[in-house]
This record gives sequence, C-alpha cells and structure tokens, in this order.
Amino acid sequence: MSERRVAVCGGGIFRPDIWRGECAEEGVAIAYRDMLKSIPGFDPADVDVLMMSYFSDHLNQQLCMGWIIQDYLGFHNKPGYRVEAGGSTSLDAIANAYFMIKSGMFDVILVPGWEWMSEVDTATTNMMIASAADTDWDFTVGGYYNAYYASLEVRHMQLYGETCEDLGRIAVKNHNAATHNPYSQWRMEHGTAYITLDDYWKSKLVCWPYRTLNNALISEGAACLLLAAEDKVKRYTDNPMWITGVGLGTDSMRPGDRLVDFPFSSFRDKAAIYPDFVKRPKTPYPEMANFGSMHAAALRAYAQAGITDPLKEIDVAELFTPYDGVELCFYEDLGFCGRGQGKNVVREGLCEYGGELPVSMSGGLTAQGHPVGATGLYQTIFLYYQLAGKAKTKYGQNALQVKNARRAMVTGHGGTACQGGVIIFEKD
Amino acid sequence: MDKKNMKDSAPGKTVSKESAPKKYTNYPTVIDHSTEVQKEWAPWVRQGLWDIKGYRVVKGPAGGGTIDESKKNLKEFMVIDRTEASLYSHSYGLVSPFFLGLLEGKLKGTKCPNCGTVYCPPRAHCWNPECRMTETEWIDMPLRGIIHTFTVQCLAAAPFEHILPFSLGWVQVEGADTAICTMLHIPYHDLFIGQKVNLKFRPKAERKGDLMDMYAVAVPGQKVPKWAVLQSDEKQLNRLDEATAATTEFIKKRYGLDNSKRGW
Repeated sequence: MSERRVAVCGGGIFRPDIWRGECAEEGVAIAYRDMLKSIPGFDPADVDVLMMSYFSDHLNQQLCMGWIIQDYLGFHNKPGYRVEAGGSTSLDAIANAYFMIKSGMFDVILVPGWEWMSEVDTATTNMMIASAADTDWDFTVGGYYNAYYASLEVRHMQLYGETCEDLGRIAVKNHNAATHNPYSQWRMEHGTAYITLDDYWKSKLVCWPYRTLNNALISEGAACLLLAAEDKVKRYTDNPMWITGVGLGTDSMRPGDRLVDFPFSSFRDKAAIYPDFVKRPKTPYPEMANFGSMHAAALRAYAQAGITDPLKEIDVAELFTPYDGVELCFYEDLGFCGRGQGKNVVREGLCEYGGELPVSMSGGLTAQGHPVGATGLYQTIFLYYQLAGKAKTKYGQNALQVKNARRAMVTGHGGTACQGGVIIFEKD
Repeated sequence: MDKKNMKDSAPGKTVSKESAPKKYTNYPTVIDHSTEVQKEWAPWVRQGLWDIKGYRVVKGPAGGGTIDESKKNLKEFMVIDRTEASLYSHSYGLVSPFFLGLLEGKLKGTKCPNCGTVYCPPRAHCWNPECRMTETEWIDMPLRGIIHTFTVQCLAAAPFEHILPFSLGWVQVEGADTAICTMLHIPYHDLFIGQKVNLKFRPKAERKGDLMDMYAVAVPGQKVPKWAVLQSDEKQLNRLDEATAATTEFIKKRYGLDNSKRGW
C-alpha cells in the first residue's frame, strides 16, 4: 500500500425528493454539472475510474444501470465499477475508491451515486427493499424493514430504558436541522418552520415505537463525489478533506442469529451492563439490541485515524440512521458513550448543533432524504463543506456551520446492520 | 410453462416425470403443490411482462440547485406505466425438512455435533468458526419458547396489509441458541420481552410450508411485569391504542375485514 494520502475534493448534488421528473442518468448528470461548477480545475480526462454507487435493480427494471450512467456522462472508455452493499452502498463506494487510489493503481476517481425509488407504490418499495432481508426466514413474516428495526429498538429500550420521547428528540433534532438545508426533502415537504415534540406525537405510528418522523424517507436523487491522490489534489481544491480512517464490518443476515454470534464472542466485555431481569443470550453483544457491524467498523477506522475518544476527538458526524433508534444505538456502538448510555447522550444534547459532537446536521436519512446510492455522498459533501468552513457558500446563509471543525465522520450501514462502515475525514 | 404440463395434475398429487416442468425432469417430483399454482399465475405473469400500459404528463420542478431554484423551473414530464410480474420457483435447499415439518405441524431445528449449538431457524452447516462448516443434525424442537423482542405494526408491506394491526417478534424456542421471526397472536397489552409462549400452527389445509403457518400464543396465567417496556408507560399505550384503532378502521374500509374481533 502506498504512503500517499487520499482526499475528497468536492462534489455535486441533485437534491432528493419523493419524486423527480428527471430520470436517473439526467439526475446524475445534473449532480455532475453541479460538481463541475464548484471544481473549475477539474478535467474529465483526469478521471481514471468511475465507482458507481446504486443499490437496487428491481426498483427500476434496469440491470447494469451503471452502463447508462458512464455513457451518459461521456466516460465510456474508462473502467467502471458498480458497488452495492444495501444501505451501505455509498459508504462502500467511497471506501473502494479510497482503496484503489491508496493502492497506487489509480489517481482520480469519480463516484456517481443515485437511486430512483418511487416508480412503484410506497408499499411495494418497502417490500422490494425488505427483500434485502432473508427472504426465506424474515421477509416471509411481515416483510417490512420498519418492523424489524422496531423490534431491535424495543429490545434496546427494554434493556437500557430509553423512552419513546428520546426517539422523538432525535427526530426533532434531525428534522429541524434539515430546515437549514435547501436541498433537503423535509424542507421541500414542510418548509422552514421548526417542529416540536407535539408534532412528533401527532405523526403517524408505523411500527411501535417508530412514528413516521422516525423513519427514513423514500427518495429519488443523485450526487457525485471526486476523490484524488495527494499529488493531484491541488488542481481541484484548496480544502481537501483527507481520508484518515476506513473501517468496515459485517454481522449475521438474520438478526435472530445474533443470540449466538460467535465472531462477536470476544466482545463480551461490552455487555457489562445487562439487566438481570432479561434472559441473557449466549453472546450478549450485540444480540438484537446493538449494531456489532458498526462497532467492528468503528474500531478499525479509529485505530487508523488514531482516535481513542470519538466524542471529543471528532467535531462533526453524519450517521447513516434510517430509524432514530439506530442513531441512539450508534452513539453506543461508535463509542460516544458506553453500552446502555445512548439515552444520556440524547438527554444531554451532546449530538445536537452546538453540542460536543453535532450529528446529522444535514437532516440525515429521515429529513435530508434517502436515495440509497446517493445518501452517503450527500452526507460526505455536507461534511466537506463543514471542514472547509464553507457550509454557507453551498447551503445558504442559514446553513448550520459547525465552528472550527477539523475532523469528521460518516457512516454507512445496510440490512439490519448486516454490514457497516465508518470513514474518518480530516482537514489540513 | 408448457401447457401440456399444467393439465391433469391436481394439487398434492404425486406427479409423473413427464408432467413436471422441464428443469426438474431429471429428478422425481415427490410432492406437487405447484402445478395448479403455476396455472393460476400464468396469466398474471403474462400480463405483467414489460409492457407499457399507460401514461400521464406531470408538470414538476426540474433541474439542479436548491428547492427554490428548481421550483422556478417547471417542466412537463411524461410518466409511463410499465409492469413486471414473475413467479419464482425457489428451493429451500438443505433446510427443506424444516418447512416440510411445518406442513406436519412440527418444529425442527438443527444441532452441531461438534459444538452443540442448536439452531432454530436451522442451518445445514454450523457457523461457529471452530466447527469449519460441520454438517448439523436434525432435532425436534418443543413448541415452546420465550419472546426475545417484538413490535406492533400499524403499517405493513402489501402482502400483509389486510391482517393489520398485528404484532411480530422473535421467539427463542426452548433449547435453541437463536431466535426465530414469528407472528404473535397475542394482544399487545399482554405482550412483553421474556414472555412464555406456545407455538401453534394454522389448520392443516391452510398451511403452505412457510413461516406464516406458525404463530405464537401466550402461555396463560402470566402477569405483565412492572418493567415491561410497553406497558410501563401508560401514555405510550394510549397512543398505541389510538393508532391501532385507526389502523383497524382503515382495514375495515379497504378490505371489509374486522380485525378487532380476532383476539390479537
């Protein structure tokens, strides 16, 4: 592996919405144009590889959609790869681009990402997404990710005592942050008024304890990201966002199998806090309460970036949290606090704007939008402008700019945490 | 699907080699609950081939930039209706005995002869890294277990919509080291993690050999413990009551089904 560093050099956005008139290749082209506008030094001839980030084939009845994209963008003599890892797709695309540049084989990689999720009705979209769950064993009962995640959250609530109100607080935080983001789906739908817990209780219950405002949006949208090796970075940006840690992890396909999760048996110490009134499974971490894949990924990324106290040492984070209980559990699995302490992070406002480590100030999956293959790219672009200190140039005068942010984190996560990833970014 | 193959075979009949679909003709079909289904579905699959059925024109925000910028740029988009339907013939593989067991009203698991881990749902090979994919052995599981976790659904994907509102959960079957995803025919006011349940099966004629054949009912006489996550917050319980009542009304209107009287 080469010693040279790899940086994110900028990106472009085609904002997510419940429906976009443009089709995917046009949306990606518009995102690419947006990127071209913000990186005047960029020459398409520089691109060595296209790393295409999209999750689904069946939502659009199109196999090999990546071939349409590389052709539409005019890159059709370059190498092109498709990366797919469920919800972790865009995180994995960035990680793979990083690995390729780091290997010394390639210098400049363009990462286009997209998802068009509204071609079938909402119930069918949900069904098609849930077919990423085990279709013999989990999908056949209920067939709905919200229900699976809700069950995981109920287990965590029972073990550690967070309340529905805690989940409401996270929803309010992310939705209100999204009102500052002029590319967010929530602002398109709702406007710029803040919501309160009262509004949260009025939103429809989907699967107890999750209400509509706790759940990821269904979106159509696209984004483009540019990654380059150290010696090429200067052509593109004065504010390179260096990748200083990349960690990936996985867990069982069926969450029910995590009661005897052999690869995690060495994580027993993480389960020190385990209430005695509930039966303790053979391997108490992560079982069906926490997200072992994320914990494993974080440990790997932190080791590379030299992080020992993430809450203090990271300044701004965009977490991949399709449901708000996931955000609370991630506080624990990413080491912001001990196991079972996620509720305290919420109650003390540590991850709100102005707190110790602001999380998902773009609005995240539940409020900025969630066109799967583009989601992590939106979040990474958001972090790029945060570290550059230029959030207001991209997101307008009301944008939430985290002051003096030097180190950032983005995560990805797919299935019921079957796969997870963490990337650490730093500015010079 | 060969038309000739769809004739003469009633559901459940053992079929001759000649009447089995082509891909299976090298192997004997032992039980056939499929030919009639394929006949029923053939027109649907045909109708669902990638045919363009209709269109509409929608005027919506276009182009890049922020919300405000794209709202100023309205364009007409032509949206077509394109169909897709398929019938997948999927093998349950080496764990087929589990699903055949469901048809008989039996619950089966597998046990690793090396490390002793008991899997329900079963695995054909042990996933303990130390066991190096040891082949597991079939065992009969008791129709008892405890609830590991659960949820109450007010929304579901299309195939399950008409039975809303309902609860599903993961049950750790007695003797198993893993938990299995199951429908819970238990009123949610009684539902708690750690609750003892009995596993029941739908009437034999309704079974299809999938997990929906089985459901859990509460072992009678259990009290909801004080620490139970759902019942310990009365406000939440009231909010859930409102939501499930609204869901029940919606299902009544949409499907003409009254799910409030079935007792779970």
